[in-house]
Amino acid sequence: MSASRPNRLFRNKSAKIAAIPMILTAMVVFVGGTIWTVAYSFTNSKLLPRWKLVGLDQYERLWDSRRWLVSIENLFLYGLFMLVLSFVIGFVLAALMDQKIRFENTFRTIMLYPFALSFIVTGLVWQWILNPDFGVQHIVRSLGFENFTFDPLYTADIALYGVMIAGLWQGSGLIMVLMLAGLRGIDQEIWKASRVDGIPAWKTYVFIIIPMMKPVFITTLVLIASSIVKVYDLIVAQTGGGPGLSTEMPAKYVYDYLFGAQNLGQGFAASTMMLLAVLVVVIPWAMLEFGGKKRV
Amino acid sequence: MARSVTNQRKTINTIAAWAVGLLIFFPILWTILTSFKTEGQAIADPPVWFFFDWTLENYAVVQERSDYMRYLWNSIIIAGGSTVLGVIIAIPAAWSMAFVPSKRTKDILLWMLSTKMLPAVGVLYPIYLLFIKLGLLDSRFGLVIVLMLINLPIIVWMLYTYFREIPGEILEAARMDGATLKEEILYVLTPMAVPGIASTLLLNVILAWNEAFWTLNLTAANAAPLTAFIASYSSPEGLFYAKLSAASVMAIAPILILGWFSQKQLVRGLTFGAVK
Repeated sequence: MSASRPNRLFRNKSAKIAAIPMILTAMVVFVGGTIWTVAYSFTNSKLLPRWKLVGLDQYERLWDSRRWLVSIENLFLYGLFMLVLSFVIGFVLAALMDQKIRFENTFRTIMLYPFALSFIVTGLVWQWILNPDFGVQHIVRSLGFENFTFDPLYTADIALYGVMIAGLWQGSGLIMVLMLAGLRGIDQEIWKASRVDGIPAWKTYVFIIIPMMKPVFITTLVLIASSIVKVYDLIVAQTGGGPGLSTEMPAKYVYDYLFGAQNLGQGFAASTMMLLAVLVVVIPWAMLEFGGKKRV
Repeated sequence: MARSVTNQRKTINTIAAWAVGLLIFFPILWTILTSFKTEGQAIADPPVWFFFDWTLENYAVVQERSDYMRYLWNSIIIAGGSTVLGVIIAIPAAWSMAFVPSKRTKDILLWMLSTKMLPAVGVLYPIYLLFIKLGLLDSRFGLVIVLMLINLPIIVWMLYTYFREIPGEILEAARMDGATLKEEILYVLTPMAVPGIASTLLLNVILAWNEAFWTLNLTAANAAPLTAFIASYSSPEGLFYAKLSAASVMAIAPILILGWFSQKQLVRGLTFGAVK
């Protein structure tokens, strides 16, 4: 073909063709797979998927299950704390790092190391550190503090927060780097101006800098939120959902029903609920982020 | 631009930052130290820090129990293969979005990124069935495809943000000189976007390397990567911490070394889209 002077029409056509493989594969896998899962959530499939409709039975069972309700509550608490703590820790670290510390690059790499570890390794390492017989509790006791108690993973009331420590450890370096990039994008003149006016540093952060960092915050929010919904390997490696139901999560519920309890319909119903919950979060975000802006 | 501060403040900040850094690094350091202890020293009371009989025994035992090189090779093929394949598919798509945007470009991007947020368990079973039907279960090829699909939205999005910074006039000029579309993408756009492509490759290799959910569910003996290797050591009753540490170090070493030598690209890759 002669492409020396492609006209607009040709450009548009080839652009569409270029995007086709990606859109097609994403379509088939994500949309196809999701629709399949939703459809089979209305059946009573047990060991193998069977097309025998039973209406909303699986959903009724799901919402009657105490384990599912506890999972939802756990995810909500975990998500809330992770979101707030990730933001605060990430921002404070970034602000600290923004003050021209020495050996900045090395420090940044060390902070990012936990992110480069898989959740499995993270979970295993922390499960050990928090083990009362070998980890922190043991070390502090051997230093002479006999009554020191710190065994979050083995106490049902606080196990969820114990799991969170590992999650924060893994994620806060990434959040810090993102926020630092945002802080670096802010004009030096603003700091000079606020100094001339005698505004204290913390006030400058709260009232001027933070509102200017909205795009960074949105990216961070999306990243944290998507990792929260998916929390699975971290739990399995650390507590396996226990003690009791104290660290059960929806993703684990789905997984156990699909591969453990051989009750496919129930697993599909639970994952459909998760899907709905994600949509409830994603759609308002999408409207906010893209809806108001002028189209390109 | 960073805030300017006095020298004294700078020293205080540096000390504070490094204290945090040490705290963050401690679990990794402790794991590495423990991997060189004997099982007895690993759980010694009081804990021993540096003065113990350094031994490589744990590594030998782990290597004997499971063939490390095979897992490592699988990890390299799966993480590398899925990333390279993803970038090859994503370059044309990102090109069309960045330089020939249509009314729907933003919608498509958004829709793509939102698939990344869907819980993977939702599509796990259909893909599992598909794999059985196609005989792809426990094959490296199957995992390459799945991980490529999982990370494709991020790859396209990252490349799109890098491509958008390249002025369209340069591509225009290439076309004026008679470059075909293929030449335009291959010889003009790609070389200019090399730093961006490198960051994309690096970040996605790490993501694919650490992907445990899919690799654990879709592999058994043949195609299992390092995530499966380390998971096989995590039995709740077997408290062989020194060996577990050695296995952990073997699983994370490649990625820590890679990360150390490519700090700049890694940070660039991680901050994609955040700074405009």
